[in-house]
Amino acid sequence: MNRLYILLLIGVFCVSACTDLDIPPKNVIGDETLLTNESGMKVYLARMYSRMPFEDFKYMGEWGMEYNGWLNASGIEGTGEAVNRDGICRAFTSERTAYWKDAFVLIRDANYLIETLPEYKESFPEVTYNHYLGEAYYARATAFYAMARRFGGVPLVTRVIKYPNDENPEIARSTEEETWDQVLADFDMAISLLRSTNPDTERGYATKYVALAFKSEAMLYAGSVAKYNETVPGRLTGLGLKTGVRVMGFDPTTWDAASRRYFREAYLAAQEVIKSNRFSLYKKKWAANDKEAQYQNMVDMFSDLSSTETIYAREYTYPISTHAYDAYNSPYIFKSPLASGTCPTLDFVELFDGFPRYPDGTIKVTTGDRNNEGTYVMYDSPMDFFENAEPRLRAYVIFPGDMFKNREIELRAGIYTGSTPISPLFNDYSYANAERHYQQLNQYTGVPKSLYLSPRELTDQEIVPVNGVPTAAAGENGPFYNNGEGCLTGLLGRKWLNPDPAFVPAEGKSAQPYVLMRYAEVLLNAAEAGVELSLAGEPSPDGSDMLQVATDAIAAIRERAGANPLLGSITGSEAGRNLVRKERRKELAMEHKAKWDLRRWRVNHYEARDLFWGEARDKDMFSNNSRYKFRGLYPFMSSQTGQYFFDAHFQWVSQKTFEYNIVDYYFAIPGGEVSKSPLIDQQPNR
Amino acid sequence: MKKISVYIVSLALLSLNSCGLFELDNKDEPSAAIQGEVVDAETGAPILTDQGSEGIRVRLLELSYGENVLPNPDFYCKPDGTFQNTKIFAGTYNVRVDGPFIPLLREDDRGTPLADETQEVAIGDLTKVKFEVQPFLNIEWVGEPQIINGKVKAQVRVTRGVSEEEFRSKIEPMGGYNANFQNVTDIQLFVSYSSTVGYRARDERWSSKIEYAGGAFNALLGEVVTIESIGTIPSGRSVFVRAAARINYDTPKGSGTRRWNYNESKQLLVP
Repeated sequence: MNRLYILLLIGVFCVSACTDLDIPPKNVIGDETLLTNESGMKVYLARMYSRMPFEDFKYMGEWGMEYNGWLNASGIEGTGEAVNRDGICRAFTSERTAYWKDAFVLIRDANYLIETLPEYKESFPEVTYNHYLGEAYYARATAFYAMARRFGGVPLVTRVIKYPNDENPEIARSTEEETWDQVLADFDMAISLLRSTNPDTERGYATKYVALAFKSEAMLYAGSVAKYNETVPGRLTGLGLKTGVRVMGFDPTTWDAASRRYFREAYLAAQEVIKSNRFSLYKKKWAANDKEAQYQNMVDMFSDLSSTETIYAREYTYPISTHAYDAYNSPYIFKSPLASGTCPTLDFVELFDGFPRYPDGTIKVTTGDRNNEGTYVMYDSPMDFFENAEPRLRAYVIFPGDMFKNREIELRAGIYTGSTPISPLFNDYSYANAERHYQQLNQYTGVPKSLYLSPRELTDQEIVPVNGVPTAAAGENGPFYNNGEGCLTGLLGRKWLNPDPAFVPAEGKSAQPYVLMRYAEVLLNAAEAGVELSLAGEPSPDGSDMLQVATDAIAAIRERAGANPLLGSITGSEAGRNLVRKERRKELAMEHKAKWDLRRWRVNHYEARDLFWGEARDKDMFSNNSRYKFRGLYPFMSSQTGQYFFDAHFQWVSQKTFEYNIVDYYFAIPGGEVSKSPLIDQQPNR
Repeated sequence: MKKISVYIVSLALLSLNSCGLFELDNKDEPSAAIQGEVVDAETGAPILTDQGSEGIRVRLLELSYGENVLPNPDFYCKPDGTFQNTKIFAGTYNVRVDGPFIPLLREDDRGTPLADETQEVAIGDLTKVKFEVQPFLNIEWVGEPQIINGKVKAQVRVTRGVSEEEFRSKIEPMGGYNANFQNVTDIQLFVSYSSTVGYRARDERWSSKIEYAGGAFNALLGEVVTIESIGTIPSGRSVFVRAAARINYDTPKGSGTRRWNYNESKQLLVP
């Protein structure tokens, strides 16, 4: 019996199958599935696009490329456009997540496509094949560009590194000039391969004109860095410790030629977009001499998907792909769960036209020649002060008492019960006195007091009778001196907010698109590159009149914005350049562009900070050595007359002090990357 | 029979442990220490500085570690030009200080060393180092600073610590030389409630500065310069004041940080 079992057991072992188990696993999708048909390519590109370094509602300067919309706000990186109560409001000197590792993931995907797609060339019509290849070059250009403006020279990985058996897996940082040349070459490849328009079903992919527009932006950055590094003590250059390569800055013998070359490329690329006549400034509701229409036009343009101005936008769709911008940045009465994340500053407002001014150019709120002289100018309603304000500003900023979503936005710092005319609340408005606030004034702390302020909202409001009616000291939306969730500066951001009254903001409910590139920027790129070329004494690269192009661009943008018209034409001088820069500061405000402009102009450190605003302003009015602060415009009500007056004072609630030093123009390479590699160099000046 | 196998198994299990079980698995904390001072090579006086990243930077590079070594985290001198770090792993280090004096490590444009006055030290229990350097400027009080109506009024004298010829002979070979490097660009008067008064600890309400464009200061070298604070210091407490001056040259090269030479701080009672 036992023997029978043993035999049976041996027999069972002899019964074997001959099916070959070496088959590709079905849950791993290979090249022949992905790269041979258009729906497979969509999957491949979708992954690349989801890792693109786009700075939109899912990007925060303080945190870097984390693809996360938490607390998102605009213009709070020490650019002066706006401030925010939290620690995320800090000068752009580093990013918590350095754009390094993610960049190489994207670059690898692009390189893989560039190397592998030619094997499947027959699967696609030629135009489509070229377009896909162009997408790969476009993605790589975008990644290298995003790295170059952060770090200078980076490792130029232009092939797929094979793990683990590559013969040469370590790639050192190249020089900054080689890096920008690679950006240029990749954009040029993308431009030659990408199609001119996308079918409607493939909106959101790159096109030839998207690549041209970003090329002009990138080359403007490169040209500016090459040129303005020279204005910084130490020339901002150096050789890597391990490799001896000039990983940061430009060679003293080549910077000039490089700067001219990049400006030429920027100019030509922008000109090609302009000459294509495919795009135009958005003017659907615009009407000459109608400020209301001009204002409404500029509100609409950011959410209108059919805008002819939008060259490239990142779209969102409720409920599958959303953001939360409205949940963090709406006025306090719409709090959900947070509010007032973007509070524009008075310094920013001073860029715009339509305000009374003191002789030194700052906005005038008293009858005297400066803030602490004369008495306050009284207005029946706060909006009277903004009566002539540039429509573009009104589209970007919610003024005290203006309408938003059919509600009047009440912003009031406090109520003054003393007699009129009212003398300035402070006798010193200079930077040195920036940290003295309204709640420390004798008018507030003394008995009897003549100034009423509110520490917090609702039941914590101080109540003052105005014409017999009990009135809360602060407006419904703040500012509250002990609650940074109200308004901080007396102004609120309007740009990017959903203006639809029926929309109820909450996290994950917003679906407005983010315009990453628009025609106005291309015009400004052409103008700036043109003026820089004239300044350098370069002839026009395409025979066009560069200064005329600049003049036309600025005139058109100003006209659409409802700003004061440009008088005369732009000259090839520093004055002309500053005019273009100022227009850029205004038009592209709160679009994640200004922080890069300040970097490439090299105007953020103390010695050069006079040109921080594009136009020349005395840096000592808002800074002390490496530190600087911004002001708010605080509306007060006089209980005796029911009228309003404004006080221009350094940020009252959650005051932010920014600091910027010369080393910050190049971010540090992540320490771990330097220590684990025998070749990657740290910045030589760190 | 069964019992024996149980014994064998438990004996085998017991033999699987190691003596490490009874030891605390922890590396000793770094216990080596370095103490140093930075003094003027000519006079032996300490190089006064700011306490913070605008002051004298001390950088240690552990040479015994291996090929691809990164500097230890930087630290900075105290205001009196001395430094101390008692939490270092023992080993051989390259010690380098950067501040408002002729750089110790000088290289030309291509990274070829010209001079290297940094020190290689075996840091053990307590190791002392001394750096003799050539400060760009010397700054001294002239008389006592006064506080009148809440404003500090002080007189200082600024002189060069290194002659123009010597500066040039040492800096020019490093490449990109410009005659304006030697210009004195500003004099600062730092006021603070803190005894570590300096750029970092200054009080922005009262600290002031005088800026000089181009070579405007050259005529004032060795002369008495009067500088006054801004704002009004409330009476009743004492403040610390200090003056500083700097030239148009950044150290280390390429950092863009132009460091100040300081004088000693003084405590003043605000009447």
